[in-house]
Amino acid sequence: MTVAERIAAYLDAIERWFGERFGGTWVDEWARGLYHGMISHPAYEKIEIEAEDTEDAFLIACFPDAFGVPSPVSYYTAELLPYLQQEFAAWERRMWDRQSVFEAKGRMHHHI
Amino acid sequence: MARKFVFFGGKGGVGKTTVSSAFGLRCALDGDRTLLVSTDPAHSTGDLFDQEFDDTPRAVEGYDRLDALELDPEAEVERHRLQLKRELGAQLSATMVNEVDIQLEMAHRTPGAYEAALFDRFIDVMGDADEYDRVVFDTSPTGGTLRLLALPELLEGWIERLIAKREQSIDLYEKAAIGRQTPRRVREGDPILARLEDRREKFSFAGETLRNDAVFTLVMNPDTLSLRETERAVGSLEEYGLTVGGVVVNKVTPAPEPHEEGRGARYLRDRCESERERIREANDTLEVPVIAEIESRVRDVKGELLRDVAGKLRTDVVDDTGTGRSATGDSDQS
Repeated sequence: MTVAERIAAYLDAIERWFGERFGGTWVDEWARGLYHGMISHPAYEKIEIEAEDTEDAFLIACFPDAFGVPSPVSYYTAELLPYLQQEFAAWERRMWDRQSVFEAKGRMHHHI
Repeated sequence: MARKFVFFGGKGGVGKTTVSSAFGLRCALDGDRTLLVSTDPAHSTGDLFDQEFDDTPRAVEGYDRLDALELDPEAEVERHRLQLKRELGAQLSATMVNEVDIQLEMAHRTPGAYEAALFDRFIDVMGDADEYDRVVFDTSPTGGTLRLLALPELLEGWIERLIAKREQSIDLYEKAAIGRQTPRRVREGDPILARLEDRREKFSFAGETLRNDAVFTLVMNPDTLSLRETERAVGSLEEYGLTVGGVVVNKVTPAPEPHEEGRGARYLRDRCESERERIREANDTLEVPVIAEIESRVRDVKGELLRDVAGKLRTDVVDDTGTGRSATGDSDQS
């Protein structure tokens, strides 16, 4: 069982438990919201931040020359640019200005 | 089993184009369907055969079984750049294109771009050579070319790490999406991974072909500088796991007749003596055999003269990977 499957199974179990006890009542809805807000959302957000950091590491390995470090593969990684344009542009801005206020705000209101 | 791909290397001016063309011609005369690949920006292969060549194989007039093509790395860099630019423009707003464009331009203006483009074409030619028995490469004199041939493993490793990083972030995005949302990236059909894997395959093919089906021949002149340079080149090629078949000594000074006297003849005799010394040294110190010695010609090596030089070259010794010292008997002078 992969981590994803285990988490899914766990969520299913919780859902069944709530369904059996409070199915369709206001308690069900309320408890779901509480669970999402306090446990699941922050956890997924952490994973997502980790995913973004990994993606940043990927981008800097692809394009170190964007920051003045010559790379023997930049000719080849340039081929990825048509598919990475959004990420690339955003990444470059972030890297040049990590401490920006907007960056911090963005983190606070982090959504998909 | 003869190795199919034969690379000729050496400093500028030692006569790589002459020797590699003569070698290609020799292969063709011996019955092999041969492709001669030139990377010389001066396009001297064309001059040698008095014929124009371009980026696609073309039959060499006057010879059977011999095709030639001239690679143009600069044009290839430009083609690559324009193609990516088109791909970019096809899917993005003008402002966004601008930002990415800078990176694109930069990647095509680094000194390494020329070599990367050349290497790409080498891989294409090697992968597309089914109809030939032999492919002879006349590499350009830049030191970078030989070094680049040693790179596939390094590049492959690099691409490998990029793939691993990309997979890791996709995996995290998928996990983050477990809370009933659509993940921002998915493994299935990810164009980045597809591109990277395509690249990895190319490099791995190149590395394998260069290690198992290619042989390098170095061209040198009989002087100390050239000998030292060749020693170093043999060392580094072998260090990269590539096979060096032998060394061709080119532009050996013809000796004057014994009865000849005078300043010119004395000069030539001295010169020949010191060249013999260098060739002996090459035989003693190089880890690979001297497979041919070719005399200087007064005229440009063309036509009949090229056939003549071709006659001095043996096509089998280069497969005799460093074991055949006896091959040195194949000398002009003896």
